[in-house]
Amino acid sequence: MRENSRPMIEARNVSKHFGSFRALHDVSFSVAANEKVVIIGPSGSGKSTLLRSINRLETIDSGSIIVDGVNIADPKVDICNVREEVGMVFQSFNLFPHKTVLENLTLAQLVVRKRSRAEAADRAMELLKKVGIAEKASAYPGKLSGGQQQRVAIARSLAMNPKMMLFDEPTSALDPEMIGEVLDVMKDLAREGMTMAVVTHEMGFAREVADKVIFMDQGAIVEVGTPEHFFTNPSHERARQFLSQIL
Amino acid sequence: MSTSESPQSHIDVGDGAAIPTKSDVGLFTAWRIAFVGSIACCIFLAVYKPDPYLAIFKFVPDGILVTFKVTVGAILLAIVLGLFTGLGRISTNRLVNGIASLYVEVIRGIPLLVQIFYIYYALGRFVRIPDLFSAIIAMAVCYGAYMGEVFRAGIQSIPKGQMEAALSLGMSRRQAMRHVILPQSIKVVLPPIGNEFIALLKDSSLVSILAVSDLLRRCREFASESFTYFETYTVIALIYLVITLFFSKLIGIMEERLNAGK
Ligand SMILES: Nc1ncnc2c1ncn2[C@@H]1O[C@H](COP(=O)(O)OP(=O)(O)OP(=O)(O)O)[C@@H](O)[C@H]1O
Ligand SMILES: [Mg+2]
Repeated sequence: MRENSRPMIEARNVSKHFGSFRALHDVSFSVAANEKVVIIGPSGSGKSTLLRSINRLETIDSGSIIVDGVNIADPKVDICNVREEVGMVFQSFNLFPHKTVLENLTLAQLVVRKRSRAEAADRAMELLKKVGIAEKASAYPGKLSGGQQQRVAIARSLAMNPKMMLFDEPTSALDPEMIGEVLDVMKDLAREGMTMAVVTHEMGFAREVADKVIFMDQGAIVEVGTPEHFFTNPSHERARQFLSQIL
Repeated sequence: MSTSESPQSHIDVGDGAAIPTKSDVGLFTAWRIAFVGSIACCIFLAVYKPDPYLAIFKFVPDGILVTFKVTVGAILLAIVLGLFTGLGRISTNRLVNGIASLYVEVIRGIPLLVQIFYIYYALGRFVRIPDLFSAIIAMAVCYGAYMGEVFRAGIQSIPKGQMEAALSLGMSRRQAMRHVILPQSIKVVLPPIGNEFIALLKDSSLVSILAVSDLLRRCREFASESFTYFETYTVIALIYLVITLFFSKLIGIMEERLNAGK
């Protein structure tokens, strides 16, 4: 009951400038527990900026973002405590190249969650099995394919037992034949009920997984709807144009 | 994976590299000629003209020992100073950043010789410490500033996604620095630290101006007693050359190892 009464992420009237450039303009949206939200829009529309402001990798100029009940725009909040609960997956994987796959998964468990070595390693192996690369545990990230690296990156976030996951174009840097294996991991995660906010150009994924699609343009949310509504009958001209280009 | 084994990858098209790499030059590299040549010169002089060369060479070991003490002491201290300066230069704390930047700017604007005099006499006013230590401190303070820039560049060379990934996992900036950024920076800063080491080795001759009996000073004392200035300076130059050539090779090999490890 409580889960449903309070959204996991709630952004209200968020604005953000880079110098004089307006990257986000009066953006409001929410993600409920267990909900999967897909954010789409043309390049430069502010999708990454929006996602990154959820865990304060970007600070916002005005408005508020409540993550699991904590207003992260409040400078007094210890953002580390929030970030522990919010997993993030980047377009460029950002694995730690000087650590093995296993160490990539255990590092934050050890220094942030203060788990024991054995506990952290168990959790890591469990997740590596889940994303299908347990045999690469002792390899360095540089030896893995892009698809494998991204699966490790997802596992690394999951190792922290986050309450929600953010994905910023997780498949955009991948060769086409590797996109499927990463999307499959994400679909599994969605099926298990993870709360997810995903920026992607994979419209198939959006249709299949999303509860809600958010379309952004020029720093503003132009349209919000179910995938059904959005892909078949979008109300805004910009959304229609975008879909005709991308589909 | 197996595509890299295909025969095509071995076909070499074109006239070879436009700029020859080290390995293309062959046996008679400048390094070998200089290194073997200067050792041969030393032996030749000692054998065929023992007077005064053998006497000069006898003064060398003591001096070299002091030169090494100054160099190694100063470089270790400079690395510590440089690490903190480098971290200060990228700190978001205005005060810390300001102090680190000021240190770098001031030191880089004053000739090393002047700094050595200055720190030596300034220290001398307040504390009684052995001359060797003030010489080491003077060299370290100077080189710490340059080392700070080496560390700053090394830290900044790590892609910003690394810090972001660490932060997004809940690490503090300090934890991210310690576990993610600095370990990766080591590889980047090691070669320039090697170069600073060689520069410091040579610059350590400046401390002979103080009452520190390094290689240069020891031999100079001998020269002024025996009036063999030309011969003495020949020996000093050869000895410095052998030492720096040796270390530059060592650092070169180390660097190759590091690159091979990637
Ligand atoms: N650090 C920054 N400094 C200045 N401008 C920035 C910065 N980060 C983003 N921007 C600008 O803000 C706008 C929105 O960027 P953002 O990365 O959020 O877009 P996006 O929708 O994710 O685009 P893409 O699909 O290309 O990833 C862009 O015009 C970009 O140039
Ligand atoms: Mg983006």
